[in-house]
Amino acid sequence: MNLDFSIIPKYLPFLLQGAGLTVELAVLGIAFGILLGLVAALMKISHTPLRYIAHFYIWLIRGTPLLVQLFLIYFGLPQLGITLSAFASSVIGLGINSGAYLAEVFRGGIEAIPEGQTEASLSLGMGKFLTMRRIIFPQALRISIPSLGNQFIITLKDSSLCSVITMSDLLQTSQRFASRTFASLEFYTTAAVLYLLMTTVISALLRSLEWRLSRESRTRGN
Amino acid sequence: MNLAFMPEKSKVDNLSLPEKSMINVKGLVKDFGKNRVIDGINATVSAGEVVVLIGASGSGKSTFLRCLNGLETLTAGEILIDNVRLESKSSSLKQIRRQVGMVFQQFNLFPHLTVLENVIEAPVHVLNQKKDIAVKAARELLTKVGLLDKQNCYPGTLSGGQGQRVAIARALAMHPKIMLFDEPTSALDPELVGEVLTVMKQLAEDGMTMVVVTHEMGFAREVADRVIFIDEGRIVEEGSPIQIFSNPQEKRTQTFLGRLSH
Repeated sequence: MNLDFSIIPKYLPFLLQGAGLTVELAVLGIAFGILLGLVAALMKISHTPLRYIAHFYIWLIRGTPLLVQLFLIYFGLPQLGITLSAFASSVIGLGINSGAYLAEVFRGGIEAIPEGQTEASLSLGMGKFLTMRRIIFPQALRISIPSLGNQFIITLKDSSLCSVITMSDLLQTSQRFASRTFASLEFYTTAAVLYLLMTTVISALLRSLEWRLSRESRTRGN
Repeated sequence: MNLAFMPEKSKVDNLSLPEKSMINVKGLVKDFGKNRVIDGINATVSAGEVVVLIGASGSGKSTFLRCLNGLETLTAGEILIDNVRLESKSSSLKQIRRQVGMVFQQFNLFPHLTVLENVIEAPVHVLNQKKDIAVKAARELLTKVGLLDKQNCYPGTLSGGQGQRVAIARALAMHPKIMLFDEPTSALDPELVGEVLTVMKQLAEDGMTMVVVTHEMGFAREVADRVIFIDEGRIVEEGSPIQIFSNPQEKRTQTFLGRLSH
């Protein structure tokens, strides 16, 4: 067995750079996804024809592989005259994809808030939009945070698929050095460890966020 | 506890003036699907009057109350609040709801906001009051319901009685002309009922127009100007507390009150 991790330190700065791009893709992707998910969730719970559009979006995206979606955006759209950079394609792809899952997360969160909250808010003269923004959504978001965190981790890992559309993320960087040096096990193990580190940090951050947001049930006395 | 919510009002003066109608309900009908819950109610409530609605569960009294601020849409009939017709358009509803406060059986405080934030929420975001002005007014209201020391607590840490008093302060912060109470003490432990009724009593003494759905017959006897007995979505009998409790005319009223005393 020839396993030699001493080759890694020399390449580590490049791997970390790739990891930086991975984080960037994941953060921008999930941010776009949150936006899309929120809009789709609101469309889905509205009693207007808009909900069919949301249904269609969720059905389409959850029913097809992310890699196919990325190919369609990056390689397919130019045929329609829409040419996007690999970076833009990646962020849009990750956003559209995570948005479909987050739509259901947010919908569940919103529907979990008791009807009495809406009634109390309306009774105070607050409109439907204000009620959603000030009363329902902040509570729904708290409920959604564990699932939102879960989706963030999934999106971070999914971003490795963007390496196939030329993004020099952590996976693609590792791949490049692995094929150059034939130290596949060393490079891919390092990549796996770096992914694991990133997801662990995200989990820890989310746990602390959850803890801080649950303060209302912990505050006692004055 | 000093509980003066409004400038003092002399009930004697009010009686000598022509009665100003605050709530006017004409031919109100409400169906839930095929089920007729309100079956033609006509009623008026004068300014400063305290009306208590009594009746068995499912009699339609809560639904009637919820119609008064548009939480339920009307199947037929009309409601005038201070001579303004309640329309189902949302802009008109918002306008009416600013003037009609409501207190719920389950309090429905906003759990993600502190007590103080609960009270200033609507003044700041609906009336666009400056925050420091709203906070000052809110602190006064919380003082009056005896909960200033809880201003920075979250609702989850309050007892039921405290929660309901915050809910009353929250509704009062909008300076409503009318307060609706939907079984405000039914979700409370017996020993906490008194503190909420005390606040309501003071509010009544200060001249607030109130419509109260309650099973607290003691409160009705002591505070109500008029008691309305509702059964199967209709007003069966109404009158002063003495008339209704001591000398009910209708058989159904007698049966209902008879069941309560056992």
